[in-house]
Amino acid sequence: MIEARTLTKRYGHRTAVDAIDFTVVPGRVTGFLGPNGAGKSTTMRMIVGLDRPTSGRVEVNGRAYPEHRAPLHEVGVLLDAKAAHGGRSAYKHLLSIAATHGIGAARVREVIGLAGLDSVAGKRVGGFSLGMGQRLGIAAALIGDPATIILDEPVNGLDPEGVRWVRTLMRSLAAEGRTVLLSSHLMSEMAQTADRLIVIGRGRILAEGAIGDIISGATSSAVRVRTRQAELLAATVAGPGVVISAPVDGVIEIAGMTAEQVALAASAAGVVLHEITSLTGSLEEAYLALTAGEVEYRSSNSAPTGAHK
Amino acid sequence: MTTLDKQRATFLPGHDRLSFAGVVRSEFIKLTSLRSSVALLLAIIVLGLGVSVALGLTLADAGVPEEGSVGFMLDQVTIGTVLFGQIIAGVLGVLVISGEYSSGTIQSTLIAAPARMTVLGAKAIVLFITTTASALVALFGSWAVTHPMLAEFGIEIGVTAPGVLFAFLGGAVYVGLAAVLGLGIGTVLRSVAAGVATVISLILLLPIVLSVLPASSLVRNFHLLSMSKAGDAMVSAADAGGGFIDLTDGFVSPGAGWLIAAVWAAGFLGLGAIQLRRKDA
Repeated sequence: MIEARTLTKRYGHRTAVDAIDFTVVPGRVTGFLGPNGAGKSTTMRMIVGLDRPTSGRVEVNGRAYPEHRAPLHEVGVLLDAKAAHGGRSAYKHLLSIAATHGIGAARVREVIGLAGLDSVAGKRVGGFSLGMGQRLGIAAALIGDPATIILDEPVNGLDPEGVRWVRTLMRSLAAEGRTVLLSSHLMSEMAQTADRLIVIGRGRILAEGAIGDIISGATSSAVRVRTRQAELLAATVAGPGVVISAPVDGVIEIAGMTAEQVALAASAAGVVLHEITSLTGSLEEAYLALTAGEVEYRSSNSAPTGAHK
Repeated sequence: MTTLDKQRATFLPGHDRLSFAGVVRSEFIKLTSLRSSVALLLAIIVLGLGVSVALGLTLADAGVPEEGSVGFMLDQVTIGTVLFGQIIAGVLGVLVISGEYSSGTIQSTLIAAPARMTVLGAKAIVLFITTTASALVALFGSWAVTHPMLAEFGIEIGVTAPGVLFAFLGGAVYVGLAAVLGLGIGTVLRSVAAGVATVISLILLLPIVLSVLPASSLVRNFHLLSMSKAGDAMVSAADAGGGFIDLTDGFVSPGAGWLIAAVWAAGFLGLGAIQLRRKDA
């Protein structure tokens, strides 16, 4: 359980995190989404006490992280895959972390196995690929058997097998009743892994809730119909709150009605439908809709029209 | 589920928890698992011994005092360990913390042990013990290799002669304090290059700059309060006379040397502690 209350971080005049409130609940995978510079990493750093909030509070399992007697047993965190000295072996790196809590070498070897690092445990971290670095970071996060797991961009640099491993691991950790918070800019990955989302932009929470609710709340759903009697159908279903697109090759899109309602109306009017499809928004559409105007860094060619006003 | 069942198997809630002893152990593992830091610890011994052997081999040319005093023997035995040891230990002290900032390890360190003063204290203890131990090996080793060479010139002073053990201990503790000084500087600056440059300037250049200042001899004698002059005093023969400290006469007793070096080390460690506590990691 992670609870943030009016959590704020300012660097001089720049407000990185602006009085945000959120709760990350146990037993679910919560995704932390937002554009670059939105305040995701700063928030994660404040959760584990690396950065001090300018004001407000964030607590993990009822206490500020540094106040726990066994912090590694409360929270396992991966913020930066390469947060290890290149000259040290993976095994010694993990052993030094475990030693702080009196956790033995047996557990260190266990997380090395869990992360699939057996063959490289004795090698120096400097030679690791980004993917191996991510596995090392995840191994470090799991050392204390934590009740809460926080991972910043964990699938960055992982191969498809590694991506699937992280996804399965996150889901099973949540299924055990642990709290899982992960950030990713990979929308498809987030859609497959997360149950809940916290969407952040320019330091503010834009949306928080179940992933399905966020998608339906931020995108418009519509029904796509193919028929030779498009104009008749359009006239039949027309009404307040219903938006109908102009027919293109006998295809129209009707917003504001369910597929069932459209089919019933067509049937009553004797319109023959050749195809009927429910169109729901994707997470990507929802995300882009939510973060429009909140993006700090945007490439100019992503908006080719109206770029030179 | 088998991997996850195993995952809980070795963790004993309520038993494994953060402790100061654990953080000290963690810092010891970190120090000894890097080739660079082990190499620096060995360098204290190798250079300390090397300088003593070189001095011993050139005794005939350099000239030997008529009556070999404890002070002469101490000069021969301690100069290499103190001169090189202070720089090597100071650099190691800087590296132990600034290397964590440059590699990002500081994140792992402070996540595992969020109590920052505990981390700094553990680092200081591990550094002090390892560098002091290396310097002790260097000093006793230097005495052992120098003893037969001095004996050829009729100077036979054992380690049990008055003041010798105290001077060896002083030399070793001085090297340990130089490491703590480096840790303080590294914690304030967080940069390897800036930290190394600062610790070398402070130890080697400050006394020179102070001693050539165009001021009264009293002001010039402020250089006696510098870190490296304290080191010289800590390995000098205890019975030289002259009280505790006298800036007009330019005298610093071994005891005063201990105090001055400790104040330097504690001062910079304190500055480092303030920085570490106040700033984001």
